Amino acid sequence: MSDVETRFHRFKDLPSTQLLGTGTPMCAGCGGLQALHEIYDVLGEKTVFVNAAGCMTLLSVYPFTPFRGSWLYTAMASAPAGAQGVRDALDILLEQERMPPEEDLRVVVLTGDGAAYGMGLSATSGAIERGLDFLYIVYDNEGYGNTGQQYSGATPHAARTATSRMGGGFRGDKKDLFDIWVAHRPAYAATVIGAEPLDLARKVERAMAIKGPKLILALAPCPTGWDFDPKLTVDIGRLAVRTGIWPLKEYVDGRVVHSKTPHPRKPVKEYLSLQGRFAHLFEPQRNAAELTRMQAKVDEYWADPAT
Amino acid sequence: MYRIRFHGRGGQGMKTASRILGSALFAEGFEVQDAPRYGAERRGAPIFAYVRADRRPINERGIIRRPDLVVVADDTLIPVPAAGVLAGLDAYSVLLIHSHESADTWRRRLNTPARVLVLPLIEESADRADLPYVGAVCAGAAACLLGVISEDALATALRDELGPLGEAVVQRNLDKALAAYRQMVEVCGVVTEGREANAADYTPPEWISLAFEGANVSAPVIHAGLTSSAVKTGLWRTLRPVIDYDRCGRCWWVCSSLCPDGAIQVEEGRPTIDYDHCKGCLVCVAVCPPHAIEAQPERTAESLETPK
Repeated sequence: MSDVETRFHRFKDLPSTQLLGTGTPMCAGCGGLQALHEIYDVLGEKTVFVNAAGCMTLLSVYPFTPFRGSWLYTAMASAPAGAQGVRDALDILLEQERMPPEEDLRVVVLTGDGAAYGMGLSATSGAIERGLDFLYIVYDNEGYGNTGQQYSGATPHAARTATSRMGGGFRGDKKDLFDIWVAHRPAYAATVIGAEPLDLARKVERAMAIKGPKLILALAPCPTGWDFDPKLTVDIGRLAVRTGIWPLKEYVDGRVVHSKTPHPRKPVKEYLSLQGRFAHLFEPQRNAAELTRMQAKVDEYWADPAT
Repeated sequence: MYRIRFHGRGGQGMKTASRILGSALFAEGFEVQDAPRYGAERRGAPIFAYVRADRRPINERGIIRRPDLVVVADDTLIPVPAAGVLAGLDAYSVLLIHSHESADTWRRRLNTPARVLVLPLIEESADRADLPYVGAVCAGAAACLLGVISEDALATALRDELGPLGEAVVQRNLDKALAAYRQMVEVCGVVTEGREANAADYTPPEWISLAFEGANVSAPVIHAGLTSSAVKTGLWRTLRPVIDYDRCGRCWWVCSSLCPDGAIQVEEGRPTIDYDHCKGCLVCVAVCPPHAIEAQPERTAESLETPK
């Protein structure tokens, strides 16, 4: 991204406005809330959030809200449809000159991975197809966290969840939502993480300058669902990037570019061993075969990361 | 019918305690309901779990307002209004507090008609959300107080509930649960069954009747931003981050940007932690480059505070 104009060159350029209010019912150490407050500080106050049911539904529970502006709650599958309605209403008000252009709002979907990777996929696909001008923020904690971490389409291989407690954990693989978006040829798509606030701020800034459907996909380390000490949220987030498990990248102008290439990559076991959901890979016996396969998968990705 | 209410913090295993006690009662031939209160199960936040048990089918539902036994896993919750520990206690109720202070001290402190008992806290933990085996300990003590659960039934129930965690975990918890059970032997059976709910006794809640209004007035619309700051999530905290300003590098962005709750404000390079809202995740302690933030047990920090 070095060729792009940005106001975020170093950490001191990050906003210190703290637009998002305190006192939310998110868990202590929530990686999703961390990403959200960083994103909100870049987006600014003129936003309307359309929230698919999930953990963050609890952000605004009457009569409390941490947002400075409007927030609309939808069922899990219908946040993009809600966003379409809000965008259309704003456009009509603008067209009929019932609202001055400076009062226009950005329409932002806020969704967890349960809705984004599963139930909400069809509505999202439709919204991208229609070229809806919206920002789609996913806080991906790799499971249905608000109901006790049942597996979702985003759960990674071998993670223990409430619905895959025994044996080797979840047998499937994490769906690639970034690639699903890219296959739609959206205006913009990026992966981010709260533990890398500068990279995140640049991507949100870039997305704001582009019209059309835009994805900000944030990996959200989850102390409750992933079973780790809340103070490790940032360490685990950084390790997700440095082991190559969570590639930081963006899709813009028709191609995918990595904004950070971890070099040398740390072994994936450093990321896995900090989390209770992967403890069965290390205790009582070390599952060397599984760990080797998981490492090989990451190595395979980085052997040809451009695609 | 027995009505039992457990109070703890998220992470202390109150849901597990209620399930162990429920399963033990079931093993003794009771009809049982056990359920945690859904919606607030965040680490450190006040948690409630309920058990009802009767020899006959149970028609009651919902939260327990008039408990026969209240078990408090963490005595720091007692002064927290949101925890509602003392709610609904009467002269027939028993209040069991897991504490290192004496029952006399608690009797003097609390203006409650209930019988106050103390389950001595054996192992203190700097982080109260990590009190070891507290769920099993509370279930074991409660089982004895009811007087209708044998040690065998308690052990079977604990094995059923914790079995998937492996034999070593089961055994450690079982030892603690049985020890707690035996500590209560002198007051075994002290809890009496509450009366059946009767429509004639029903007292309506103290609500205020409002006139019917149109949806534009009565719909739950929030008309102002940032109202969430009225919720003092600082009460969840069991460990407190404290900044040593002599070591703080005034970098301003690290703790403030990475605090998940946005509870660190910076003015002229000086970070200040908002203790009304800091949940005590300690991310700031972990990320501070010069290690200028230290974690202190909340109790210690409170006792060091100078009264205003």
